[in-house]
Amino acid sequence: MPTLALELRGITKRFAEHVAVRDLSLDVPRGAVYGLLGPNGAGKTTTIRMILNVIAPDSGTITLLGAPSTSPGLLDRLGYLPEERGLYKKMQVRRLLRFLAELKGVDGKTADRRINDWLDRLSLRSPEKDWGNAKVDELSRGMQQKVQFIGTLLHDPEVVILDEPFSGLDPINAQALKDTVVELKRRGRTVVFSTHLMDNAERLCDSVCIIARGDKVLDGTVSGVKSAHEKRNIALSLEGAPTDAVTAVLADGALVARMDDNNRYFEIEMAAGGNPQLLLQRLVGAGAQVQRFELIQPSLHQIFLDRVGAAGVEEGMSGHG
Amino acid sequence: MAKLWAVIKREFLERVRNKWFIIVTVFGPIFFGVVMILPAYLSVRGMRDVKVSDIRIIDATGAGLGDRVATRLVGGPMGDASATQVQVVAPSEVAAAESAATKDVMAKVRRGYLVLDSLTLQEQKASYAGRNASSLGEMESIQNALRSALLGQRLEREGLDPKRVEALTRLKVQMKAERITDKGRGGSGLGSAIFGFIIAFLLYMMIVLYGQAILRGVLEEKTTRVAEVIVSSVSPDVLLAGKVIGVGAVGLLQVAIWLGSAVALYQFREPIFLKLGIPAAPALTLPNVPPSLIAALVLFFVLGYGLYAALFAAVGAMVSSQEDANQAAQPVVMLLVFSIIFAQPVMLNPTSRLSEIVSWIPFSAPVIMPIRMSSISVPWYELTATIAGVAVTMALCVWLSARIYRVGLLMYGKRPSMRELARWVRQA
Repeated sequence: MPTLALELRGITKRFAEHVAVRDLSLDVPRGAVYGLLGPNGAGKTTTIRMILNVIAPDSGTITLLGAPSTSPGLLDRLGYLPEERGLYKKMQVRRLLRFLAELKGVDGKTADRRINDWLDRLSLRSPEKDWGNAKVDELSRGMQQKVQFIGTLLHDPEVVILDEPFSGLDPINAQALKDTVVELKRRGRTVVFSTHLMDNAERLCDSVCIIARGDKVLDGTVSGVKSAHEKRNIALSLEGAPTDAVTAVLADGALVARMDDNNRYFEIEMAAGGNPQLLLQRLVGAGAQVQRFELIQPSLHQIFLDRVGAAGVEEGMSGHG
Repeated sequence: MAKLWAVIKREFLERVRNKWFIIVTVFGPIFFGVVMILPAYLSVRGMRDVKVSDIRIIDATGAGLGDRVATRLVGGPMGDASATQVQVVAPSEVAAAESAATKDVMAKVRRGYLVLDSLTLQEQKASYAGRNASSLGEMESIQNALRSALLGQRLEREGLDPKRVEALTRLKVQMKAERITDKGRGGSGLGSAIFGFIIAFLLYMMIVLYGQAILRGVLEEKTTRVAEVIVSSVSPDVLLAGKVIGVGAVGLLQVAIWLGSAVALYQFREPIFLKLGIPAAPALTLPNVPPSLIAALVLFFVLGYGLYAALFAAVGAMVSSQEDANQAAQPVVMLLVFSIIFAQPVMLNPTSRLSEIVSWIPFSAPVIMPIRMSSISVPWYELTATIAGVAVTMALCVWLSARIYRVGLLMYGKRPSMRELARWVRQA
């Protein structure tokens, strides 16, 4: 059994006006939760569509579960939740789910059993009300999202690809999705998801790949990425607003390279050669009431901003890159 | 293959389950039945109902002509003789009788009055005044009764026995119209023409209705983004094929139900007419339709539907909103309208050069050729060439549409220009 669930080698995709993905290579180990991170328009959706063989790359190879991604039957082992969600509005939920399962080669009987399991699990079925018999447009938005998860997972795919799965989810569904991802990983399935929300990625992912404007910025395990970007970052929180004297200390370029106000605390990046002990001394000397002074690892968010830069976010084209 | 089947099944079942499909399919035959029976029913009912007999005859002829007319108006000696009032007057009293009759008509005692005098006997001139004077049918009934009464009266004056006169002047004419083609005589000319027209119109209607259904289906998948989920499971080609086949099957089912019920109605028309109290079913002969014609019709239906379904699918894949769809579909709809506006000229003159050309053009052939085929016999080589032309055009349209569909299905936003479309076709 190949150890990689997904392998991209030198993938490039050009559209008429721009290059959506440029020479992208990445490895997703089996059983991993993998985050494809990037601002809007970075090329995430295009990459995912190439993995799903919906569009063909101009150059490069994609290997899925040890076989070229164009191999027949491979799509049946993949589950896909698109960013823009939608279902046939006039169809009965159960019939719709059975149809989606049949498209993945699941026979009717197995599909029916799994549909009931899932409806129970996501509390769409109770002794009083079985939403499976309702039409899709009778369901609330949250319930429709649940139905769409079920459709993605009914055929028990080995690789699950979720495009911006957390966008538009209410907290309850977001929790259900997170639980499902963890459960999938526990059962040895591979989950690839794209997001521009770094917090979700940091909590869930084993490995990440950050892309911006079609280029890979970095990739690796989350802990690897973090230690590679280890800087002496300091979380600082003060009692009350900083006085002018304190602000002056924080503005000293010899000590502080950058400071990010997170509202409840400042995330401070030490300047090269700057000594944290000296900073603390000077802060106290300036009369600061220090509540928290802690050496921390940079967050993925911070790394992302460092590497991609605010410009990369702004220049990224909106929509499907 | 199993997946194609799943798509076909969904398209077919979801549409057949739709309540509008059920309503239209069930009410179609009822509508046909009404269209078929109502005119016959009304004409018979009308004869009985329309009160042509409810008039006053002012008879100043002195020859009993009023009674003769009355007998004929109420439907012969067995009719209700009291329905028509005959007022025998002297020639000098006509004016007074007329003004009295006018008042009665105004008071709705009678519908009108007929004045017969010596001029009627000599120069066949009479006058009528009444509420129904503008009804051509009723005036003709009265005129017929008068003509027949005058004829009888003259024959009797020539010395014929009144009974013989009665028998001789009461005749009904029935003319059977038969058509002659290159192959000889056969069938009723009118029947064939109507048959051809019905088939052409049915084809046109089905192509419009189900072609638009395809367009709406594709658009729905695009706007709800279901398309994206589906093409992660099956290729766009399978989705397109399944949609066209599934929707086409729904159309065929509907046509089969309609034609089946029409044939059943025709078979059982005698008992139905009898039940409704219509004495004789109107003479209606179904044209004799050879199996080869039926085969050709089915072929034209399938090819014509496939051709337009592919075009409508491409339009659906090109656009992202209903408003855009209406605009983008216009060229396709124009092609169809172009076919149907030639239907009547071709039906009236199937041998003209124009009819021939319109029936050869692949985009209008599926609608026009059946009309020509049912009214004249089209040579087999011409037919084969036309079918081949439609088939090739269909294959081309399907190929083009599949490419547009593949790219367009996941494209949103502004409608592509012709140049962009060409690029889609190349890059797909």
